[in-house]
Amino acid sequence: MSGLNLDRPTGILRPGWSATVDDYAIAGGWTRRGEALVVADAAGGVYAFNGKSGASAWARQETHEGGVLAMAIHPDGTAFATAGQDGRVLLWDVAKDQAQQAIDVGTAWVDNLAWSPDGQWLAASCARQVRTYGADGREAWRSDDHPSTISAIAWSPAGELATACYGQVAFFDASTGEPRQKLQWKGSLVSMVLSPDGDVVACGSQDNSVHFWRRSTEQDSMMSGYSGKPSALAFDDAGTLLATGGGERVTVWSFQGGGPEGTLPGVLDLHVEPVTTLAFARRTLRLVSGGRDGAVVVWSLRSDGEGDPIGAAVVRDVVAELHWRPDGRALAALDAQGGVTVWRVR
Amino acid sequence: MNIPSKVPVSILTGFLGSGKTTLLNRILSEEHGKRIAVIENEFGEVGIDQGLVIDADEEIFEMSNGCICCTVRGDLIRVLGNLMKRRDKFDYVLVETTGLADPGPVAQTFFMDDEIREEFSLDGIVTLVDAAHIEQQLGRSDESTEQVAFADVLVLNKTDLVDDEALDRLEARLREMNRMAQVVRSERADVPVDTVLNLDAFNLDEVLERRPTFLEPEYPFEWTGVYALDPGRFELSLADGPDPAMSLVVVPDQGTDDAALRESAESCVRQYAEPAQPIDPGEEIPVGTHVNLRLDSPGRKSFFLDVDTPVRLGLYAQHTAEEFDLQLKNAEGATIRQEVERTWVAQHEHDDEVGSIAIETDGDLDPIRLNAWLGELLRERGVDIFRMKGFISLAGESQRYVFQGVHMLFDSQPDRPWGDSPRRNQLVFIGRNLDEQSMRQGFEACLV
Repeated sequence: MSGLNLDRPTGILRPGWSATVDDYAIAGGWTRRGEALVVADAAGGVYAFNGKSGASAWARQETHEGGVLAMAIHPDGTAFATAGQDGRVLLWDVAKDQAQQAIDVGTAWVDNLAWSPDGQWLAASCARQVRTYGADGREAWRSDDHPSTISAIAWSPAGELATACYGQVAFFDASTGEPRQKLQWKGSLVSMVLSPDGDVVACGSQDNSVHFWRRSTEQDSMMSGYSGKPSALAFDDAGTLLATGGGERVTVWSFQGGGPEGTLPGVLDLHVEPVTTLAFARRTLRLVSGGRDGAVVVWSLRSDGEGDPIGAAVVRDVVAELHWRPDGRALAALDAQGGVTVWRVR
Repeated sequence: MNIPSKVPVSILTGFLGSGKTTLLNRILSEEHGKRIAVIENEFGEVGIDQGLVIDADEEIFEMSNGCICCTVRGDLIRVLGNLMKRRDKFDYVLVETTGLADPGPVAQTFFMDDEIREEFSLDGIVTLVDAAHIEQQLGRSDESTEQVAFADVLVLNKTDLVDDEALDRLEARLREMNRMAQVVRSERADVPVDTVLNLDAFNLDEVLERRPTFLEPEYPFEWTGVYALDPGRFELSLADGPDPAMSLVVVPDQGTDDAALRESAESCVRQYAEPAQPIDPGEEIPVGTHVNLRLDSPGRKSFFLDVDTPVRLGLYAQHTAEEFDLQLKNAEGATIRQEVERTWVAQHEHDDEVGSIAIETDGDLDPIRLNAWLGELLRERGVDIFRMKGFISLAGESQRYVFQGVHMLFDSQPDRPWGDSPRRNQLVFIGRNLDEQSMRQGFEACLV
């Protein structure tokens, strides 16, 4: 289905290993040095694979009734959390096939999970509320009800929690939950990413635009012209480039100089169906994009946002998530058929 | 990659107390073999027995451009987006709205969001109406009017609380507002499940099959009789009837097949638009003229027709022959039977602001002109046009085009080939304060 005619991975991508899980592979991540890849599926299965061979380390079914919605790997890389339609969060040790702790968050779906960068707090959103927990699973604080269901959460490097929903982005103090800042805009914000320095908040909006604010000045801008809603967003580690999905093209905005306001973005055009996920490899301008077409494309970008494809592969169905191994020498793709595909990266 | 079939979705609307939850439970118990997901926005009057029930807050998302037609239901996008990820997908999704919901954003969600559109198809909008209270509700709230206007099926519920005459009156009023919908009566939402599910209601063929007359144009006359007459003087005799006068056009050389009747009907519409010439009892009726027979004197009244050469006359009368016991007699006083008679869908008084307009014409449409006309119509009146459905014949296309829309959004797709069947256009608009004449003219100007 892809515009790329690929029987096997090309460019910098080399065959690695592959495995399958029972249902739509909805979320995953690498452990500390890539010793293991953990994956959760839409039916509620959680799996750990040996990072080098792909052999199954352990698997557990029916962890969340109704299915898993989110997963977050702890920054130390040895633990992770899952959240699901059952209104619960489970805390896991990567080495063990049984959840160490279960947290009842609410009666509604728990859609979003995120660990603070220092690993001290876990945030989980459930309907209009966000709650934070210590690493021991004890609740730290909970927010007031937001005006609508929270669609995305993220931590800033300064230890604040950001939430996005219809009409606003709000910031809360990590330890007390005190509201710090509210950025408003009338639109349905479907995705959110913070720049590594925490100053820029970028959100994809239902009306096929990307809206962003600079927190220091509260100035905001809107980038429109997308052919679909930008649900995939990624900043590189240096905060130079913001890659955005939304339609078949990847649009890359450069924050170099006075940009991106008044500049033209880089446009990466190879997918034939909408882009679903984007990820930068650590400390590089190397981006990977995945789409509904099942194509996975690695791009080498320049600081102006333009770039070229340097590797590509195809999986069986819609690409759900892409994860670079922390050292950038392997790449994992999760797909809608439950496929888990890992390539070595030259 | 496999091409997944779309999961049908039905929307259940209706005021609190109209019986939505009763109907939901009925569907779930009768369709227990299927995987049905129910998305609920309020606590029902009774609990839901089975099936996967997802409570979601009704979240209306407007867009920054302020266009109401771009307003969608955020909760549905989120919930449906996740449901479609399961491999053992659902067979059916039911969305129950709150009593005060505007059905627009719910329906628009299935047009506006690409991912939802790819995985789900809107099967139909089912509106439950509490027969005992709807009249008051229609007077007081825009929401209940819109729920009626958007419906593919109107379930007239709690009929045991209202007498038959009132029900007939209510049904006529609802049909007037929404000629596209099928009306089903029930006592405790006990309607057959197949009247509300798998309607494929956005498929016009189905609609036509169910209600073949819904596209019939309305005429200012109700009845036509065709008489074959030899030369002579004829008496048209009428008894007392419901009105003190009756309009009539007598068409010469009238054919007896349906096409000929329709053709004359069209020309009579133009005649009827002209001022009528009043005719008193005892006077002669001119042929080919819009006349108004005065019937205010008591007892039978006679009017006369003079025929020079053998001819078939078509009488296009404002009321049916039955209503005035209309009879045509020759000079000897013998009653002459009409060769053919037929009735027409009569125009009604439009009490409600919300109503339906049906346009039906033969011939091909110029796609460029049609686009321009429709574009302008929807830009200017999209807010007031709730639903539209139809199929059209585009010049140079061998296939029929089906289209449907909600407010400003519309979808058009090639359908089956025309083959030998006559190429025609059929369209229905349901909306508020629509100007039928200008819409009809605008559409006809798009014909090649």
